[in-house]
Amino acid sequence: MENWPLTEPVLLILLSLAAQPRHGYSILKDVERMSSGRVVLSTGTLYGALRRLLEDDWIERFEEKERARGRQAYRLTPQGRRSLQVEVDRMKHLTRLATLRVAPGDR
Amino acid sequence: MLTVYRRLLRLYPLSHREVFGDEMLAVYCELHAENKDRKLIPRTLFFAREMAGLVNGALLEHLKALLGVDARLSLSTRRFAMRNGFRFPKSTAVLMMIILAGIALAIEKARVIQASYSNGNAPVVPLEAAHFTFFPTVALLLVIFYALGLAGWGILFALRRSGVHRLDDISISRK
Repeated sequence: MENWPLTEPVLLILLSLAAQPRHGYSILKDVERMSSGRVVLSTGTLYGALRRLLEDDWIERFEEKERARGRQAYRLTPQGRRSLQVEVDRMKHLTRLATLRVAPGDR
Repeated sequence: MLTVYRRLLRLYPLSHREVFGDEMLAVYCELHAENKDRKLIPRTLFFAREMAGLVNGALLEHLKALLGVDARLSLSTRRFAMRNGFRFPKSTAVLMMIILAGIALAIEKARVIQASYSNGNAPVVPLEAAHFTFFPTVALLLVIFYALGLAGWGILFALRRSGVHRLDDISISRK
């Protein structure tokens, strides 16, 4: 797949949506919180990524019903969830490999 | 700030604006309200990040619309990454902001001039006058851009990122 490996901002956006559907502002804040303030997305960067994820059918857009004036929110599609799982498995494999190769007593 | 954001949003292709324009503006308004009471430096950084993100995003969307090239998200957020071995210094954001402010000012000036012409009371200027002002203006712009370039290089040099320091480190003697 041409999207591999996922960049950190995209991975964080997907992780943010994995927990629950969110709207744009909420995604920005959650990404910042998850990365302890290291990744701070601009709205331009966020909506560029959302547009691509929508086109790839990894996420879908829907109107929030809780608010009087509906606003758009995003959630993972089954395909997006599968892709995220594949990426997480890839990272787990890398971490295991790194743990084996870079043993604490090597120095 | 909101006006500048709205204007820069127009840089995006219409198709993108129709789908995401209002939403982006709404999210920016929330962020703007949140940052309003912060100190000058965090507020400036927020503004620079947003404007740089918009310009970069608009460029990528146009590339996608024109050439079908869909550049994947590769921006680091604290600094603007070019490739692994090189990163633009934070001063780039400040320089970009100055340039953006210049663009916004020019747009505003153009609007005022256009408005004065539409009133129908604009003075009639002989065509020859344009010849006298055009070349000095171009020369002045060249001098300004040259000075800006020198200032930018000076900053890079001071931050040891101009490449000169790396050249100094290269040993030309072969053993």
